[in-house]
Amino acid sequence: MQLADDIEGDENTVLIRRTLRSGQKFHYNGNVVVLGDVNPGAEVVATGNVIVMGQMRGMVHAGADGDESALVMAFRLLPTQLRIANHITRPPDGEVQVDPVPEIARIKNGVVTIETYLFKA
Amino acid sequence: MGEVIVITSGKGGVGKTTTTANLGTGLAQLGHKVVMVDTDIGLRNLDVVLGLENRIVYDITDVTGGHCRLRQALIKDKRFEGLFLLPAAQTKDKTAVSTDQMKALCDELSQEFDYVVIDCPAGIEQGFKNAIAGAQKAIVVTTPEVSAVRDADRIIGLLEAAELREPRLIINRVRQKMVAAGDMMGIDDIIDILAVDLLGVVPEDEMVIITTNRGETVVQDQRSRSGMAYRNIVRRITGEQVPLISLEDEGLMSKIRRMFGMK
Repeated sequence: MQLADDIEGDENTVLIRRTLRSGQKFHYNGNVVVLGDVNPGAEVVATGNVIVMGQMRGMVHAGADGDESALVMAFRLLPTQLRIANHITRPPDGEVQVDPVPEIARIKNGVVTIETYLFKA
Repeated sequence: MGEVIVITSGKGGVGKTTTTANLGTGLAQLGHKVVMVDTDIGLRNLDVVLGLENRIVYDITDVTGGHCRLRQALIKDKRFEGLFLLPAAQTKDKTAVSTDQMKALCDELSQEFDYVVIDCPAGIEQGFKNAIAGAQKAIVVTTPEVSAVRDADRIIGLLEAAELREPRLIINRVRQKMVAAGDMMGIDDIIDILAVDLLGVVPEDEMVIITTNRGETVVQDQRSRSGMAYRNIVRRITGEQVPLISLEDEGLMSKIRRMFGMK
């Protein structure tokens, strides 16, 4: 998977200026920002935080080397599986109505918690 | 210089061969000079669908291996003057042709034909790599099933990695009643995930099976909706702007009008 052409950033954060499709895997030592969607079957693994400026429908792993303060944020957070540090979660079975709002996932009191992302003007 | 278009899908059974046969025939119907290339070596069936199986003498591996001249391997269609088929080999496997050989072959064919339509095998291995090697454009076929859409997404990623940018999408075998009832993925759901240009939507239609089994193509059938869908796709390939046909169930009057060829 050759992504180098689409990426810019410093050694801590990368910017992926496109959609990650099924079968495409991106692993990074640091934070990852995706300007696009992460489709089902794609994987994003980062030792830091993951931010998706689009739909997150694939597998995401933030804080991959054990950082429990890592978070995942997406405009639409609909992952197949969401991992933070050594916590592994998946959406509940069955149809779930999700409000079309940005959401943020992080560890609170030892459990992965997903909340609506509220920005303060 | 002609246009080299590969028809691909990832998943098997979604209608790549049927689509290739119909688009090739449709383009020839409009008077273009067209060659269809079957790259599914070992599992060839484009020749069967076109009813040309019994005319095969040489195949694609004979051409790339230098056992015959290109012209000798091309099979002329029964119905259309400017339509030809380059069949796959049945007794070899995908490694019988290399990507460099495919590129050279596509170059040679595009010198002589307006359109070179390549039927790609299922999968993402050597056969797929060969099929896309010489292509300038790609058409991805999917059906409204999660597995087919997932594979289409994978294929689009691989096409982009191979510098085949902006593939266009055909959604095949759509059953509008099931979509309306919420039992089948709709067009919008599929476009939402794949985010590519929609080239056309082909409704599920028994006529496709009937014509295929006869060695004919539904694009020639003026009365069926799938035939019309394919004709519209063909016109879009040639650069015309054609609106999508409605998949809603039509009323009795418009059915009658269509039967008399008034629409």
